[in-house]
Amino acid sequence: MTTQLTRAAAPAKDSGRRSGRARGARSADVGRPGFAWAVPATIFFVLFAILPLLAVAVLSFMSWGGIGDPEWVGLDNWNRVFDDPVMIKSIWLTLLLTVLGVVLQTPLSILIGVWAAGTQRNRAVISAVYFVPLLLSSTAVSVLWRALLDPNFGIPSEATWLFGDGNLFGEQSTAIGVLAFVSTWQFTPLHSLIYQGAARAIPQVLYQAAEIDGAGRVRQFFSITLPQLRNSIITSMILMVVGGLTTFETVLILTQGGPGTDTTISAYYMYQKAFKSFDFGAGAVIALLLVVAATIISLIVVRLSGYDKMRSTMEGVS
Amino acid sequence: MRTRTRFSRMLVGGVTLGMALSLSACGDNGGSGSSDGKIHVLVYGDATNKVEKAVVAEFNKTSKVKAVLDTIPGATYQQKLQTIINTPQAPDVFYNWGAGSIQPFVKAGLLMPLDDFIKDDPKLKSAFLPSVFNAAAVDGKAYGIPMRGTQPVLLFSNDKVLKNAGTQAPKTWDELLDSVKKLKKSGVTPIALGGGDQWPTLMWFEYLYDRIAGPDLLKKAVGGDKDAWASPDSKAALNKLKELVDTGAFGTNYDSVKYTDGGSPALVARSKAGFELMGSWYYSQQQENAKEFAEKDLRYSSFPTIDGGKGDPADIVGNTNNYYSVMKKTKHPEAVAKFLKLMYSDKFIKQQLAIGNLPTTTNTEKFLDTAADPKYAHYQFDLVKKAPSFQLSWDQAYPQSASEQMHQAVQQFFNGSLDVDGFIKAMQALPTS
Repeated sequence: MTTQLTRAAAPAKDSGRRSGRARGARSADVGRPGFAWAVPATIFFVLFAILPLLAVAVLSFMSWGGIGDPEWVGLDNWNRVFDDPVMIKSIWLTLLLTVLGVVLQTPLSILIGVWAAGTQRNRAVISAVYFVPLLLSSTAVSVLWRALLDPNFGIPSEATWLFGDGNLFGEQSTAIGVLAFVSTWQFTPLHSLIYQGAARAIPQVLYQAAEIDGAGRVRQFFSITLPQLRNSIITSMILMVVGGLTTFETVLILTQGGPGTDTTISAYYMYQKAFKSFDFGAGAVIALLLVVAATIISLIVVRLSGYDKMRSTMEGVS
Repeated sequence: MRTRTRFSRMLVGGVTLGMALSLSACGDNGGSGSSDGKIHVLVYGDATNKVEKAVVAEFNKTSKVKAVLDTIPGATYQQKLQTIINTPQAPDVFYNWGAGSIQPFVKAGLLMPLDDFIKDDPKLKSAFLPSVFNAAAVDGKAYGIPMRGTQPVLLFSNDKVLKNAGTQAPKTWDELLDSVKKLKKSGVTPIALGGGDQWPTLMWFEYLYDRIAGPDLLKKAVGGDKDAWASPDSKAALNKLKELVDTGAFGTNYDSVKYTDGGSPALVARSKAGFELMGSWYYSQQQENAKEFAEKDLRYSSFPTIDGGKGDPADIVGNTNNYYSVMKKTKHPEAVAKFLKLMYSDKFIKQQLAIGNLPTTTNTEKFLDTAADPKYAHYQFDLVKKAPSFQLSWDQAYPQSASEQMHQAVQQFFNGSLDVDGFIKAMQALPTS
């Protein structure tokens, strides 16, 4: 939205290459997007995002059990949450799961996305099948894997050489492993889709030129495809990071934060505090921390990647 | 340019107005159990709802104020109830577990004491077994009328597996340990446990504490006496439990098994485990999921006695019953009172028995032979009637805000990440009000 607005507002600054678009904008001056265009979205955003956020901020200074009137307690909730060992542990677990998600999903989805960007018919069919997990809800996915991983009647009972006694949900390391695996299974198709689109947009001339220069497929991948996918990698990584910070359903259904509190990530801990222990004040504190963390991390990724400069990759020139 | 500005202002104004209108509209119809001349009855959504539907239909035949049955499915009932209880969406009458589960509502002044109802119709109290009726009293006042049925926890077993291993249902703790040893030798998991759900694990604590320390320990603890958890009896119970876990009685992967997805019942039904400790609903669940096994080899017995324990060997634990409680703000108290009378009607008792529930009215005995399985119904009823103490599940006796931490401590004690002292500390940290 913002880029379009600035570009349209300052057509004179545009260089020659973008003149086509700039000319179009000038000739259709009446259709220039004004503030009014953003009004409906803004109202919804304020109503359903900003206002609730403020309400949560206020709630974080109150003690409230879901019934009766909330009571002002000042910084009490904040102090409690910061002194809570489970909270500290949940932050590390959240970061661990997020990093695991990025590390596992990024290479996998780039490979699949680039492969699926090819033109042969079998690829279209296989990729269509492959994207099925995208269509399933997280809940369905979690229930499915919970059943498949039952130690006595599921996959582990058939492959004891790999799974041992199958106590995947009874130990921290394996429980985290299962969570990382299930989110990878579920979300790699989405990211592959992003990469597939981006890979298809890479101009064929680059590959033709590379071929003339004698570059092999591997060299082409690392010297052309990967650099060309840079902006998509950033987009996909922001999605992964934000998704990782807000992972919830998989934990709720697969491990319920257990064994003990060994997979209690922050988002689940927030739910547990607010809706299971009816400690809405502490829940609100955790919610705010999550918002702040997600914003900071997104900003850092954007900053480090130079995404904010909005460099174009048109015609393969970055 | 000018027209555009005016247009955008109009747009802003129009959208804002529209939002405001739609919001206020929400506020108007979004609500209210009783303003529409009906009473809303909210219950836990499951297979038992067919009886409740019949009761509501029966009630609506004669009543001018109609009853509407609302259900919330599954394990999130308590959470959703708590979210709506103080809103216009709150029901007039709702299902609960008595005791700790309604205590916060009573404290917040939301519930109606039922003394006046009982004064007008003493049978609302006298028609029910006293021990059951009293479990829904808070500060000496009645807040719940029993509905559905009682659910004691029993030790279920697979007779074929026990015979194969050369053992039988144990009467004492030592016999249980012996059975575990023999079952292990015959290559099965001695005791199936859905540790992933955590509450099945809690049942073992409930029985061991009751047998060794007697029912008073938990009463004191729930009353706020945190020292109760540090008593020698408490430690003795924990050590006995630890001993059982360490012999491998539950196998090694119980925390990956759930009861709610059928994992642990299947272990017993498919002869991969000998025992399972579970609420009385286990029986009908096995009938439904594994009919052949349930008819041929499913057995039930009470929890073994423990030598030198303070608890009466006839004590039981479980869900005493479910209750209907009434919101103070209901606009049709007469209709509600009339509705509650159906809970002790002969027809209701028979309907409950027919689906395997065991209502706790004083005259239930008369109808036991009409039950889905008369033998099982008689067995349960005698057990409940003779029990000197019926300990409500800990997670229901404590306020709801304690259950999550309690479940965690229970799971961690079983898997060894909490020792006896750690568990005691965790239980002492639970909120009691």
